Amino acid sequence: MDTDVAPSESLELIELRRSFGELAALDGLSFSVPAGQVFGFLGPNGAGKTTAMRAVVGVIAPDAGEVRWRGAPVDAAARRTFGYMPEERGLYPGMMVLEQLVYLGRLYGLTAAAARSSALEWTARLGIADKRDLKIETLSQGNQQRVQLAAALVHGPELLVLDEPFSGLDPVGVDDMSAVLAERAAAGATVLFSSHQLDLVQDICEAVAIIHRGRLVAQGRLAELRRGGEPRLVVRVAGDPAGHWADGLAAARVTGVTSGTVSLALSPGADAQQVLDQARAAGPVEHFAFEDRRLSEVFREAVGADLDEVDRAAREERAAADTGGTRS
Amino acid sequence: MNSWLGTTWLIAARELRQGARARSFRIVTILMVAAAILIPAALHGHKSAQKVGIVGSGPATVLTVRTAARISGAAVQTVPFASLGDAEAALRDGKLAAVLVPGREVLIPRAPYAGVPTSGSSLEGALALAGGLIRSGETATAPTPSPSLPIRGLSPPLTGLSVRLTGLAVSIVIYVLIVIYGVRITVGVSEEKASRVIEVLLAAVRPSQLLLGKVLGLGLLALGQALAIVVTFVVLGAAVGSSLIHSASLEVVGVGAMWIVIGYAFYCTAYAAAGSLVTKPSDASTASTPVQLPLIASYVLTFTVLYGDSVYGFYWFLAFFPPTAPVSMTVLVALGVAQPWQVALSMLISVASTVLMAWVAARIYGRAILHTGSRLKWRQAWRREA
Repeated sequence: MDTDVAPSESLELIELRRSFGELAALDGLSFSVPAGQVFGFLGPNGAGKTTAMRAVVGVIAPDAGEVRWRGAPVDAAARRTFGYMPEERGLYPGMMVLEQLVYLGRLYGLTAAAARSSALEWTARLGIADKRDLKIETLSQGNQQRVQLAAALVHGPELLVLDEPFSGLDPVGVDDMSAVLAERAAAGATVLFSSHQLDLVQDICEAVAIIHRGRLVAQGRLAELRRGGEPRLVVRVAGDPAGHWADGLAAARVTGVTSGTVSLALSPGADAQQVLDQARAAGPVEHFAFEDRRLSEVFREAVGADLDEVDRAAREERAAADTGGTRS
Repeated sequence: MNSWLGTTWLIAARELRQGARARSFRIVTILMVAAAILIPAALHGHKSAQKVGIVGSGPATVLTVRTAARISGAAVQTVPFASLGDAEAALRDGKLAAVLVPGREVLIPRAPYAGVPTSGSSLEGALALAGGLIRSGETATAPTPSPSLPIRGLSPPLTGLSVRLTGLAVSIVIYVLIVIYGVRITVGVSEEKASRVIEVLLAAVRPSQLLLGKVLGLGLLALGQALAIVVTFVVLGAAVGSSLIHSASLEVVGVGAMWIVIGYAFYCTAYAAAGSLVTKPSDASTASTPVQLPLIASYVLTFTVLYGDSVYGFYWFLAFFPPTAPVSMTVLVALGVAQPWQVALSMLISVASTVLMAWVAARIYGRAILHTGSRLKWRQAWRREA
């Protein structure tokens, strides 16, 4: 499997640093995003994802470090090829859907005709064609989300930066959003999206960067990350609900037993066949499979803390500090 | 009923408390109290005796001056002159407030724009009245049609009433347009911030572009409106042959139009910065109050000079002070006291200050516009990191 994605990288974040008063939102963050993939930018609340994305699209300037696009520092011309969907969704509430999309398309350099044609296309594609002449404020939350996505796509961006795009979506909305992202990536665009719900989005992205406290803690293709560390096996032997067959296994360590299903971590260099042999010796093997780690486990192994706990602590910290300051 | 009133009062009391707690309310109150002290002092501040020249002498002269002083409430000191020529020269030099020629007339430096005063509230009016009554008493064989002595100005009034009225109208238009469009800018910026569309916009354009685009768009709208008013004024005035349409009035309108542009340019960025400080559009009006205070002050003080016969020093200062110059200098033009070079200098100072204001406002706007949470104070926004 190809782990080196460097040759096709289109977006690079290099040693980004940004502080808000005492708080270091970005602490030397570096990672790169290849073109043509749906890339997940993951981490708990308060990890620095929004700050990093704002730095990418130029809404804020980093204190130090650099963002590069296709090998060159990002300038105004490059930014016009980016599409951005901020975490805190925002459009003019009193403006008509089509009028707003055309306006935003033109801000990104499209002609009036091109902006209108693209806005018509995207509203049709996202199922809001009948809402074109309605004011944003009259739409449902779901439809406002669709307009927001259309606003990020209307000018045909080569880099899509989406901050928590799945947040607040129903399952159908998540499927629609994933389909659009996959479609843009397949068309050659670079797609970077953030999420603090690691396990929910692990099936959507092809590669990820996981950050914590403004620093990268893991990066790579999803398949590699999930299979990294000790290989994991899940085995169930008929007639052994307590999983006693695994007692004294030399090739693997038991990490859990649930209703007769034994979860095992294979020892380095050990052969899974030894485990299978021992299981078969104990009785008929009903289930035998390798199991991938969840991304929250990848996070826990990298950081040494549980994702949910970190998330909760960050939310409490933010609530306390939300009397002032730009969100990080 | 009581409960209905009680509830209503609860609501009113909360509004009172909240309103009185607002910093802008305290600032406005302090400024208004200060104005209430300073304006009368500026207008009638001199407690020292006013000098009245007396040409020749007669038994009733002292009585005339005393009576006039009592009627007008002024302290008066008399200066005797042997000839009318000497008295007129002293009056022209500004050494005297008025000259009394007993039994004949009262002289003042400049004829009032609205004709001679008929009441005794001014010193010259009181002198004319007292002098006339005493003359009637001395020669009471036949009553004179008017008991007052005539008042004569050594020089004609600077401008007529119609020009002054034009000045007032133009200063109202300047004030109203700047405030209306300024507050629209504040509300517009705060709406962009509150709806978070600002982040989408800032990904596409720079804050300075956004700021400039907004003030330019609304500025053009304001200018269009001003132009419509001016064109209507000129065309309609000419059509009906109004006395308001003559060169002096048109000069005031022309200068006023230039001040609308300069004044708007000066204020618009400050209004935008005010909008960037708040997180709710409902706070926009409070945030814009400090910005418009100088404009309100200059507008209110306009009445003290438009209907007076002289311009006091502080008003001259306001005519060169950029936040108040758009209204105050236009008024001085309407009064006919401002020289072209003074108008040009004031405009130059304002344009230079506009650049400075834009720089300060852009810095505040750039630092405050992405802030979430509580409302920022001006100083906090200035010190924030970009």
